[in-house]
Amino acid sequence: MKFLCAALTAAVLAACAGRTASAATGNVLFNGTITATCTLTVNSNGTMTVSSNLQSLSSHNAGGSAGSVQVDTTGGVSLSVDPVTTTTVPASDTTATTWTPTFATTGAQTIAETGTATALTVPGTSTVAVNLTGTKSGTNRFSAGGYQATVTVRCE
Amino acid sequence: MAVLAASLAPLAATAQSMTPMRGEVRSFTDAFAVRVFPGNPYDQRIRVEVHVYDQDFQPIDAEISPSTFLLAGQASRPVLVVVPFDGATDRKVRICTESIPFPGEQTQIRAQICGKFFGHRRS
Repeated sequence: MKFLCAALTAAVLAACAGRTASAATGNVLFNGTITATCTLTVNSNGTMTVSSNLQSLSSHNAGGSAGSVQVDTTGGVSLSVDPVTTTTVPASDTTATTWTPTFATTGAQTIAETGTATALTVPGTSTVAVNLTGTKSGTNRFSAGGYQATVTVRCE
Repeated sequence: MAVLAASLAPLAATAQSMTPMRGEVRSFTDAFAVRVFPGNPYDQRIRVEVHVYDQDFQPIDAEISPSTFLLAGQASRPVLVVVPFDGATDRKVRICTESIPFPGEQTQIRAQICGKFFGHRRS
């Protein structure tokens, strides 16, 4: 009997020899989803001045200034400007004006000046320069008085 | 009106003009609801308007609660939008948050953040 017990013990020890204790491991997964976001912050409005031939009232003209908007986005959105529909003109101006809004961006993403919707694919902060030009054709001219127009900058 | 409201959880609301900007909703009724969170990234209080448009930017007669409100600086608040299907089985809409421009400037800029939402009607 003693011999049998000794033999079993030796067999168990022999079976365990060379084995190391192993720790159990598990993976914990973290998931996150960021949907498209966009923040527009109007830094400043713009100023238009009239050209020497009195047929252009524009923020591009000498003395004019573009409006400035900061856009913060994750990307996956598009930036656009709407046709101008809200304007105030002097009573003496009775002729038609064609308004053309445009925008350009610098910063995280550079977009050359355009009037069409453009995708913002690069995440980060960009500065949007918003310009507006009013044009008269033929013999029509801008007249003295206050002009005001609203440009809608859209991020969607 | 019984409406199945979509669970569209907002992300961090601070300095977000509107969250979420995308969403898909399934409804068993004749309308679907979306809860959006317009935010005010400025430090001062601003006036905010919420509008609903179709794909061609034509206004939709949706219930917006509230549709116009004052929002404190760096704050956001929930707005519930209920959009009728108007007999359709699917409807794509834009929900837009618009800030009111600063007055008294020659060229005013209106900032508009639009989210695209897709409603499916289930029978």
